[in-house]
Amino acid sequence: MSNDVMIYASDLSKNFGSFRALDKVNFEVKRGEIVGFLGPNGAGKSTTMRILTCFISPTGGTARVNGHDVFDAPLQVRESLGYLPQRAPLYLEMSVLEYLRFAADLRHLDDSTFRQRARSVVEVCGLAQVLGKEIRHLSHGYRQRVGLAQALIHDPPILILDEPTSDLDPNEKAEFLDYLKQIGQHRTVMLSTHNLAEVEASCARAIIVSRGRVVADGPLDEIRAKSGRVRYVVSIQESAVGAQYRGRGPLPKRSEVEDALGKVDGVKKVGELPTDERAHSFELVSEQDVDLRPELFKLIVDKGWVLLELHRDAQTLEDVFRSLTIGDERRNRQLGAAAEADDEQDDEEDVDDEDEGDDEDAERSADEDQKVAKDDRS
Amino acid sequence: MRNILIIARRDLRAQFNSPVAYVVIGGTLLLLGLLIFKLPHMSVAGVAIGGFWEIDRATMDEMFSLLPALLSVLVIPAITMRSLAAEKGSGTLELLITMPVRDSEVILGKFLAAFTTVVILLALTLLYPIAMFKWPMNFGALDWGPVWSGYLGCLFFSAASVGLGLMFSSLTESDVVAFFLTLVSLFALYAIGPMVSVVHGGVIGDAISFISFQSRYQSFARGLIDLRAVVYFVSVALLSLLVSFRSLESRKWS
Repeated sequence: MSNDVMIYASDLSKNFGSFRALDKVNFEVKRGEIVGFLGPNGAGKSTTMRILTCFISPTGGTARVNGHDVFDAPLQVRESLGYLPQRAPLYLEMSVLEYLRFAADLRHLDDSTFRQRARSVVEVCGLAQVLGKEIRHLSHGYRQRVGLAQALIHDPPILILDEPTSDLDPNEKAEFLDYLKQIGQHRTVMLSTHNLAEVEASCARAIIVSRGRVVADGPLDEIRAKSGRVRYVVSIQESAVGAQYRGRGPLPKRSEVEDALGKVDGVKKVGELPTDERAHSFELVSEQDVDLRPELFKLIVDKGWVLLELHRDAQTLEDVFRSLTIGDERRNRQLGAAAEADDEQDDEEDVDDEDEGDDEDAERSADEDQKVAKDDRS
Repeated sequence: MRNILIIARRDLRAQFNSPVAYVVIGGTLLLLGLLIFKLPHMSVAGVAIGGFWEIDRATMDEMFSLLPALLSVLVIPAITMRSLAAEKGSGTLELLITMPVRDSEVILGKFLAAFTTVVILLALTLLYPIAMFKWPMNFGALDWGPVWSGYLGCLFFSAASVGLGLMFSSLTESDVVAFFLTLVSLFALYAIGPMVSVVHGGVIGDAISFISFQSRYQSFARGLIDLRAVVYFVSVALLSLLVSFRSLESRKWS
């Protein structure tokens, strides 16, 4: 392990009773990285973070933070990180300043260091107006900022933030992500969320977990490419209503177009899209690394059809996330195994071994995942 | 050690920032005064209450026989119930524990805060003997020996009771549950003492008077510092702190 690895997790597992919350999770976070820790609710994000902050212990595997093992040196681990738990649980009866002071005291900052740090933290988190107010009177957005401020008060090299934006309105979210960029310039930040836009806005790398397993880990571009499929939409003019038909030869029939498109090299699937009588619209699916557009264009020119529309759907992170975390278990597993294959060959076998055992759990959480995805969409 | 003090100071401040501490301390002092001075002398389940004027002696016996009862059913359950249960319920415990503090420091800090609150209350009850026998009234020469030994007894008694309260607080996430568990067990430990007279001694009587907080405390109220009682109270306190510590630690493995 090089010195630059700030957070290191190897085969991290956690059982709650018979429920396997984490199953051999492996990842590394290097110095200066901002990593998004993504997954539907109940995927094991908080559990992982609680293990890293030594709040709970893993059932198996090892984790090191800033070179300190979570078992052997929990105090050193906690000293080197700032942690903001989900929903920022603060002491409501304290004022913001009192709270920061309390956090600084427990971190053994002396008075002048505290004053200096507090000034910078208050500025970064925008707390100057509310310093004297009791935390109970603050909005969720401000509480979240106070939570961030206490995590930053000792200038830690590592920040672990558990769903820091879940209670914020869109404006506050945008602001929070701005702070994060500012803060993350010199720090290692690990932030969990189920909101993908945030990851795209603030992180260069994402780790996607689902049902206690890492299903994807890498730079965002790589993860986008992970889904392995590209979708094209082609629309051909079917009839020219009230205008002159500009194509060569007769108007094409639906079956004719479908057959021709299906014969193009690289096309995996052709599906018809609903349209009116003026156009035939088809959806094509191909592998990731081929670009079908030149072939499609050539085909259409050769046939003398009139092309109304041709576009390739860029895979958003959201699509990838969904395909990785919902849907049929088998596909999920395969992708997950592929993602982990670089790190650990053994994992794949383990995954298969346990397939039968936790099918029930898997089904139940698949339902939950779909619910989550629906919520996200709306 | 420093962390213990920081945690205790925060807890104390929280108690005195909320009405709980004031209501409990003020209410207890008021009730104590009413019971000692306004009620005729009587004995309820072995606890002598009232009759300060009837006895016609310069003594604070009534106060010292009442104090542990009030501490058991009123003060200590109310003060310890929030120590850990409320923090667990609201999630603030997670933030506290993920600071660089040991679990044992959290437990000792919480204990120290609750115990200090009780000590403040005990110190305020000094007003009664002072007001009666020093200034503004002076009804005679009070023998201060039993008063001090009574307070010493109250301190040991409170340490054990606060320990138990903290233990129940660490076992649940609800402060109401913690309150009632503490109240019931302290009441039981207190009330089985007077039952000795019902079973007329013997092995059972010995056993009861051995574990009862009331009979252990009795000798202090009479001006006797009983080493066995001191050891007993301190052991109960240490044991319950140990259980609290284990219970806090168990979150890691559940």
